[in-house]
Parts: sequence; structure tokens; C-alpha cells
Amino acid sequence: MDDARILVVDDDREIANAIEKLLSMEGYQVIKAYNGLEALDALVSNSIQLILLDVMMPKLDGLSTTLKIREDRNIPIIILSAKSEDSDKILGLSMGADDYVTKPYNPQELVARVKSQLRRYIHLGDVGNVHRNSRIVIDGLCLDKDAKQVIVDGEPVKLTAKEYGILEFLIENAGRVFSAEKIYERVWGERAYSVENTVMVHIRHIREKIEINPKEPKYLKVVWGIGYKIEKY
Amino acid sequence: MDTKLKNISRCTSMKVTAFTLIVLLLTASVLLIQYAIFLEINPETLIIREYRKSSTFHLRVDRAIYQTLSLMEGNKDPDQIEDIHYYITDGDKTFTNIPNGEVDFFKEEEYFAFENGQWSVGENTSYRIPEVYYPVEPDYTMYISFPEEYMAEKQWEWQADRDRLVPIAGAAIFCLAIGLLLTIYLILVAGRKPGEAGLHLSKLDRIYSDILLGALIIILFFWLVFMDYSQIRGLVSGELNTAQIYYMIFIGIVTAAAATLGGLILLSMVRKIKAGRLIKNSVIYRILFAIYDLAKSLFDGRMFEKYPLTRSLHNRQWIFIIVSVTLVFFTFLFLMVPPLFLLPILLELVVVYWYIKYNNRTYEEINKGFNESLEEQMRAERMKVALITNVSHDLKTPLTSIISYIDLLSKEEDLSETARDYVNILSEKSNRLKHIVSDLFDLAKSTSGNIQLDLETLDMKKLIEQTLGDMEDEIQRSGLQIRTKLPEKAVNILSDGSKLYRVFQNIIDNALKYSLEGTRVYVELEELDGQAIATIKNTSSYEMDFTEEEILQRFNRGDQSRSTDGSGLGLSIAQSFTQVTGGSFRVKVDGDLFKVIISYPTTGGDYHPI
Repeated sequence: MDDARILVVDDDREIANAIEKLLSMEGYQVIKAYNGLEALDALVSNSIQLILLDVMMPKLDGLSTTLKIREDRNIPIIILSAKSEDSDKILGLSMGADDYVTKPYNPQELVARVKSQLRRYIHLGDVGNVHRNSRIVIDGLCLDKDAKQVIVDGEPVKLTAKEYGILEFLIENAGRVFSAEKIYERVWGERAYSVENTVMVHIRHIREKIEINPKEPKYLKVVWGIGYKIEKY
Repeated sequence: MDTKLKNISRCTSMKVTAFTLIVLLLTASVLLIQYAIFLEINPETLIIREYRKSSTFHLRVDRAIYQTLSLMEGNKDPDQIEDIHYYITDGDKTFTNIPNGEVDFFKEEEYFAFENGQWSVGENTSYRIPEVYYPVEPDYTMYISFPEEYMAEKQWEWQADRDRLVPIAGAAIFCLAIGLLLTIYLILVAGRKPGEAGLHLSKLDRIYSDILLGALIIILFFWLVFMDYSQIRGLVSGELNTAQIYYMIFIGIVTAAAATLGGLILLSMVRKIKAGRLIKNSVIYRILFAIYDLAKSLFDGRMFEKYPLTRSLHNRQWIFIIVSVTLVFFTFLFLMVPPLFLLPILLELVVVYWYIKYNNRTYEEINKGFNESLEEQMRAERMKVALITNVSHDLKTPLTSIISYIDLLSKEEDLSETARDYVNILSEKSNRLKHIVSDLFDLAKSTSGNIQLDLETLDMKKLIEQTLGDMEDEIQRSGLQIRTKLPEKAVNILSDGSKLYRVFQNIIDNALKYSLEGTRVYVELEELDGQAIATIKNTSSYEMDFTEEEILQRFNRGDQSRSTDGSGLGLSIAQSFTQVTGGSFRVKVDGDLFKVIISYPTTGGDYHPI
């Protein structure tokens, strides 16, 4: 893990330098490129484990570069862009990126996301979306029903019984939206009466444990005015 | 000297004098001629000296021939023929008044003979071509002669007339000649003033030429009618009678008046000719020019260029209809004159051509304008989106560097205590700047309508509960209490959940920030007349000296005393998001009570998620 090599691609050299410094402090080797074409060259001549890619760049933009890389490579790509619209994020992820971080980024969050992607790529290898009887895996999120444990990016997360119950219920039905009442009835096993706040507080706590940035959750999402769901990847 | 003479000649008094003289001279000559007419003097006496050479005599000859012939035709009494000697025969009958029937008798006098179809006259007899005289049958033989005494008497009368007429005529001609000279003088100096080169036109000259000409003709006409009428009274020869004297005075006055008016008009026209305005300053020219100009303006597009395009279409349509109807009328009128009825048809073709051509041009212009405005609008829209995107990118990129390097700086271990404090402040402020920029673009996108909406039916009650649950930490940290009053059942509305969450989050955030310590924040929701109305009330910690409108104005943070965190755009974003998702957003300030009211129309049917 310490010798992981990361390719940072950004036409703004100061930003590329700052990220290099940030990541090298965490013990990673960093190779820099300033546009998409340079990035593709660097990929050929180096062994790279992760790419941080800007979108708006001269010569070859980030999205086209992602498509090019994805033709023959499976390494994690984190897009780093000033474009913050939901549509931009969806577009980036659908092009084959593994994560999407908006500028100005929070350095700690960026490091966390890099770590998360690397753990999954290096240590879990091709675990991917394989379903075993007792295991449900959704991207970096893994539910082990036998051990009653949730593993995020290879690291086990400590959850209370109720939190685990909520998460298990939602992961088993990933992609579906459930109301607070439904969740309460299933997890608490009691009739639900004015439970929105209770469930919401639990959801928030779960998010703090499994999400890198709880304000922009990747897995556990609130469908405002309707309910909650686990995103299905 | 020359100039002086010129100046004198151009002097007004000179002109007036000349004009008066002309009028007087003209009147005088007219009166002289009229006097001669009243005296019944044969005007021929003026030119022909001898009676026997005059046409008066030849008329007498003609009458004699006719009278003689009448004898032959048998419808005249021979006794009635006086003064002349005659002889006529057709070989059968013979009429004569000469003593012994000898035709040689005639040769002693002035005689006219007709023999074998030929005329012959005496040696000294004045002779006219035979055609002048009354036609005579060719097989007649005729002699006519005038006795010596008769001719002498006639010659004496002739001479007497001549003696009277010559001085009158001489005087009249003299008057006319002087008058003509003066007229020429006036024509030369008309419109000139002493010492000036320019031409001066009088008020009279403003009257249109054809009107002046018409007036002149009318004056002349009435003068002639009057003169003609006055001739009937000339009955007595010799001396003038009283009536005739009165007539003479009257004629004099009328003639002088007519001459004055006519002279003025004539001089005015002379001045116009000199100024080259005789034609231009006429009614006919004006009318023709107006018609020409109208037609020209229709064809060079000048006619409607000042009007808005649709108005010019409208006007052109009217002209087309009116002209066409007129031409149809003329076509029917001209049907009686076969070749002429083609004219309106040809004109109609021209009008149709004109109508189509210029209407097409106007349509093109309208189309062009329409396309231009549409394009302009689309360009403005694209620019707005591009501007927001570009400015957003341009602000975020340096901000990324700032935040990154501040973070690196804070990780340096050998920073002094003071430097670390500074770095903390930088970190704090740069993060706030990040939020402001983010809020600013959310607001810009929302207010410019460039926001992605994901509208779905949702439960507003649930959303409020979720929001409060989500903000539990902030609420507890603020030390304030939230009092909710929500309905039992779901309140379904159509909105964008994540936007509406931002709305409530911002409002509650605002309430938490600016509420008086120890007070409560009230969050209420009720369904009323198909409206879901959410009210958030809090007691302000400071005096709200702003109006409800001012608080919602972007960047307006109301009061300096307000806390320095947040972008100050929270309420503006909340308002914009509410409106863009189909709701209404109102703020009420009542003393220290700050109230936000959000309402959405409910979507009737109950919606229950799984």
C-alpha cells in the first residue's frame, strides 16, 4: 500500500503540486501530468494504481481520458472537478470513474477517498460485486450477514444493533426506497408512531460511520419527503 | 450715371406712374375707338383713300349684280333698283334702264360687263376676282354701271368719314404705342428694386399661376362681353347723344379697372417667369407633382418606412383595396369605349405587382427581425449559462489552490504559535469563501432558470421531520428548542426533495443563528384549501430594522450585528428554490417575531411509499 503510485492529472500546476505534496505526506508516490494526453503516456510508462483526474483540461479532457483508460484498464479513477452539478457527477461516474470529488476539495476528504479506492483495488482485488450466500457487496460496502458485520473498503465498521438492522434491511433491498415507518416496523418490530426523527437520527449516525463525507453520502441516501435507500451500483 | 438711371427706373414711384399712365392711355385709346364706333364711321376709310377702290364699293357692286339678277328671275320690281344703270338678257328676255338699249352707254361710266361667261370691267374700274361676286348663269349677258354723280357723292362721304377718323385713329395708335413702350419698361423692371440684385416677389405672386391666368381670362371675357353689349346702343350717327356719353364714361371706368387688374396680373406673371416659378407655382403643377410623388413614394418604399412593419402592411392593404375598387369601377365605365378599358386593367396589374413586391419585402423584414430577436434571446441564454459555468470554474480553481496550500501550511510542524493562529483564520475564511461561492452559483443558476429539477410527489411533513432529524446536532448545539406542530397524515406536494430540503435547512439554520437565547423556534405545517402551508417562526435576538423585501434581497444581510458566518444568501436561495419548484415564499416581520411562510399546492391523492 505504501508503494502505491498515483497519477495526478490537472492543467493547474499548483493544484497538481499541492495534491502531490498532500499524497506524498501520506506515503504515496505521485506522478503528475498536465493534460489527458500526458496522462495516457504516463500510464503506459509507469505502473499506476490510482488516477486523480481533472475534467476541464486542454488537448484531451478528463471525461474522454476516462473513456480511453477504461478501454483496457481497471484501475480506480477519481474525477476531481470544479463542475458540481448532479448531472456532471452522473456523467463522470457513467463514463467509468469510480468516484467524483468537487473542487474546492477538502484535503482530508480527498485523502480518505484515495485510501478507500486503493484499499478496494489493492487488497480486495476483484471482489467487486460478487454475491456469496452470506455476503452482499455494493461497491466498497460489504455486508456480512454471518458475522453481522459491515465492512467498508475492507475495514470493518462498528455499528449498534439497530444501526446494523437498518443497514441490513436497506442493503438487502438496495435501490428501493423505504419510509421511516416501514424501517421502524421491520427493525424495531413495533408499530410505528411518529418515528421519523428516531429513524433519521439513526440514519445520520450510520452515515457518519460508513460514508467518507456524511453530507454527500455515497451509499445511504435520504429521499427527501419520501424515505431512505441504499444506492445500488 | 448708369447705375443712377437704373435706380431711378427701378424706383417704385416711377413704376406706379408708368402703370397709371398705361391704364390711362389704354382707356383713352379704347374710348377713342368706341367714339369712332358710336359715330358709325366706316373703319375702311382709314386705309382706303378712294371709295371706288374700297371693299365697301365692291359689296355695293355685288348687291347691284344680285338685284339685276333678281329682275331676270322675275321676283323683283325694276322700280326698286336705284342709283345704278343695268342691262341683262338671256337672249329671250331683256331688262334694262338705259335710255336706248345701247350697251356702249355703259362704257362712259364705271362699269362691269358679263358676256359669254366672262367678266370684263371699265378701263379705270377697280376690279376684284369674279368669284367674289354673285354667280351668274353663263348664257346671260349683263352690264352694270354707276353714274358719275353717284360715285362723286359717295367719294365725298368717304372723304368726310376719313377726315374724322384719321385724327381719332392717330390719337388711339399714339396712346397704344406709348402704352406699349411703358409696358415693356415695366416688364423689364418688374421684380427689381433699386440697388439690389435679387428678384422681389410680391404677395400677389404667391397666388398660383393658373388661378392668375384664369382671373385674367375672366376679366378679359367680361370686358369683351360688356364692350359688345354697349355696341347695341350705338344708334345715332353724327354727334353723341346723352346716353352714349354716359356709356362712354362707364366704358372708361370699366376699361380702366380691367386694365389695372389685368396689368397687375400680367406683371405678376412676368415676375414669376423671371423667377422661373411660373410653372412650379401653379395648382396643376402641384397636383401633378403630388400624384407623381405619391406614386414614386409607393414604389421606392419611402411611403411606409416610418411606420412599424405591421402598420405598413395594413396601410398598403387599404391602398390596394381602394385603388383596385376604383380601377374596377373605371373598367366598367370604359367598357363603352373598347380600347380604353384595357388601361385600368394594366394599371391594376401594376398595382398588384407593387402590392406583392412590397408586402414580400415587409414580410422579409418582419421575418428577419423575428429571427434576429430569437437568435439574440438564445444567444443571451447561452451566454448566461456559459457565464455562470465559466465564472464558477474561474473562481473555484484558485480557491482550490488556496485551500490546498493552507492545508499543507497547517501541516508544517515548525510553525510559530502566531503563524498557526493565522493559518487557522485563513483556513476558516477560505472555507467560508468556498461556501459563499457555492451558494452564489446555486442562487445564480436558480434565479436564471438554469437549474435541474427532479420533481416528484413527496410528503412535506416527512421532509420537515427528516430535515429536523438531519439537523439534530446543530439544533442541540444552538441550545434552542424546536416546537413542531405537524398534521397527523401526510401532506403531499409536488416538488424537488433535495431542493426543498435546502429550503428548510436554510430557514432553520437562519432561525438557529439569529434567535434570542432560550427562545423557541416554531415549525408548523397545515393543509388549508388545497395548500400545504409551512410556517417557521423565531424570536430575533436583535432589532430587525429592515423590511420584509429587504431581507430577501440578495447579499443583504440586514444588519451588521448579524453573525459573520454563512454566506448571507441562505434566505435568498430558499426563496429562489421554493419559487423554482412551484411554491410561494413569504417573510413576515412583526416586532421581534420573524416568520417565514412557505406554501405549495397539495396534490390531492394520498401517496404512500412502501
